[in-house]
Amino acid sequence: MGVSPSSGLRGWTRGVAPLALAVAVLSVLQLGLNAWDSYADGQAALGAEVFRPDFLVYLSSLVAVNVVLTVSLNIVNGMTGQFSIGHAGFMAVGAYIAGKLSFEVKELAISGLPHAVSDQVLFTLSLLAGGAAAALCGFLVGLPSLRLKGDYLAIVTLGFGEIIRVVVQNTPALGAALGISGIPQHSSLFMVWLWVFITVLAARRIANSSHGRSLWAIREDEVAAEAMGVNTTGYKVRSFVVSSFFAGIAGGLFAHFVPIINPGSFTFVKSMEVVVMVVAGGLGSTTGAILAAVMLTLLPEGLRSLFLAVGGGDASLAQKVDQVRMPVYGVLLVVLMLVRPQGLFGTKEIWDVLPKWLPRLPRAPNSPPARGKEAA
Amino acid sequence: MSAGELLLRAEKCSIEFGGLRALEDFDLEIRRGDLKGLIGPNGAGKTTAFNLLTGVYRPSSGNILVGGQRVNGLQPHQINRLGLARTFQNIRLFKGLCAVDNVRVACLAESTPLISKERLEPLRKRGGVSAAVANALDATNNYYDWWRALLLTPGFQQEERDLASKAERLLEVMGLSHRRDEEARNLPYGEQRRLEIARALGTRPKVLLLDEPAAGMNTREKADLMALIRQLRDRFSLGILVIEHDMKLVMGICEEITVLDHGETIARDTPEKVRNDPKVIEAYLGEPYRISDPREARP
Repeated sequence: MGVSPSSGLRGWTRGVAPLALAVAVLSVLQLGLNAWDSYADGQAALGAEVFRPDFLVYLSSLVAVNVVLTVSLNIVNGMTGQFSIGHAGFMAVGAYIAGKLSFEVKELAISGLPHAVSDQVLFTLSLLAGGAAAALCGFLVGLPSLRLKGDYLAIVTLGFGEIIRVVVQNTPALGAALGISGIPQHSSLFMVWLWVFITVLAARRIANSSHGRSLWAIREDEVAAEAMGVNTTGYKVRSFVVSSFFAGIAGGLFAHFVPIINPGSFTFVKSMEVVVMVVAGGLGSTTGAILAAVMLTLLPEGLRSLFLAVGGGDASLAQKVDQVRMPVYGVLLVVLMLVRPQGLFGTKEIWDVLPKWLPRLPRAPNSPPARGKEAA
Repeated sequence: MSAGELLLRAEKCSIEFGGLRALEDFDLEIRRGDLKGLIGPNGAGKTTAFNLLTGVYRPSSGNILVGGQRVNGLQPHQINRLGLARTFQNIRLFKGLCAVDNVRVACLAESTPLISKERLEPLRKRGGVSAAVANALDATNNYYDWWRALLLTPGFQQEERDLASKAERLLEVMGLSHRRDEEARNLPYGEQRRLEIARALGTRPKVLLLDEPAAGMNTREKADLMALIRQLRDRFSLGILVIEHDMKLVMGICEEITVLDHGETIARDTPEKVRNDPKVIEAYLGEPYRISDPREARP
């Protein structure tokens, strides 16, 4: 691409190195986990009870899925400034396509590969299929509604989410209201967090590229962006497609670690949950989205443990947590709007608000440096 | 004077909003090196004319040609890419972005698309299915471009560096280098106006349309602006069209002035002649109130 090969090679390193590093780190974690599991198995055979991190892994998967959802929704709601409230719909598309595919091929294995590897390859393929299907839906939903300015997208995505849910509910092939159970549980710690990493990397790289700047421009002033040669419809649709793709991936991951997927997991409530996370983290802040997703996923779990402890092991009290979650989110949102309308970080990233003496990453071009702020 | 290449031409453009004729038979010609003015009382249709030229509105009748190509009905961003850039009457910067990013958004990347534009253009001209295929291929181009951003390919990094240096050069030209990382909303008013011009220049225009660039400036800033506009024209060999209320500024820099009133072109001439045109004076000051001369009344 008009660059000398030597500098080209270096350039490629910069693009691919973070991913390679993430793969390495996550592999080590996964292998460690596997080793611990087999150790625990050995101890169990001897009759000794050893702590198994199963619940923690499950919780971390839940967190991871929500992070992927929030970061991807942030591309549309935060960076582009369009308001989409049907993210659960795209998640459902990904979950059902990927889940159904995995379900159908669970007896199959690729010859010449160890079982575990073959499973993960097939899993990855069905994940990508789910993501692609969600992206296609995003394209079809986005193209007509993003040509218009204003809040049409909100209405259309709301409708889309409900349509998907109702369609699934009435399709016997997808298990109707009962859902699909028996999807192979392929979502490993490695896979889930690798996708988190890919999503965050993609979001950050978009935000820091000329494409991202065009998205920011659309968010700031659509008319001016259009007048400056930015194809606003094209950019909005593309950001929506990328966002839908990752929502589909999140759905696929989700389908492979929960015992059962049913339409009840992808209701409007789920969409709102993601929106709340994005708004709480700060519209446009990727790290804010991550932080909010982690906190708001762990909060109900923490409350549940707390209620269990307070209630002296009374499970009915703990169950109430799920029921009061939405009202709590509502109150939280109102308080947030009153106290900090821009969200946790606003459009800034976490390293922009950290104290100055901390070592920091290269500054994001879209956010002003700390110095500039003080001068103002 | 008007010897340069013809860049922008409006032929008998009219636009109606409901029953209101906001602009009627508007003609205009901008050549390379031109510096023309568009004036008129409030509501005369000046900004409407700008919106027509830049594609915000589609003319009800008449033609607009940019570089010889008819652009009626094209999207504003497409017209912009043909070489027409504008500023806005009420500043429309990307307020949350820093100065250099404002310019960088406008600086269009000279990317190397997967499928070259030269191959797409003939397909698109053929119309029908071929045009649809061309559009689909063009969309593929766009998505491919995003992949380059996601993978940070060397070519993409180079492009980003080029964009940044281009934007910084433009900031320097407009004297805004010291504000590079300042959020646009924090800039003083005059600098915001200049940043808007820098941003417009980022799109590599052939014609620059300035909508009241001096509004809200003090005398000193206005004088600087006049010099700057002339300088820009020569440096980037642009054709410039200025809407302005400040007569001193318009008369000072424009070589030809078009006067609009109620959507009609009532005069087009050199500043001196326009200044003394009775129709223009009437449009601005109303009909002359004749005090009957007592000597005439006498028998």
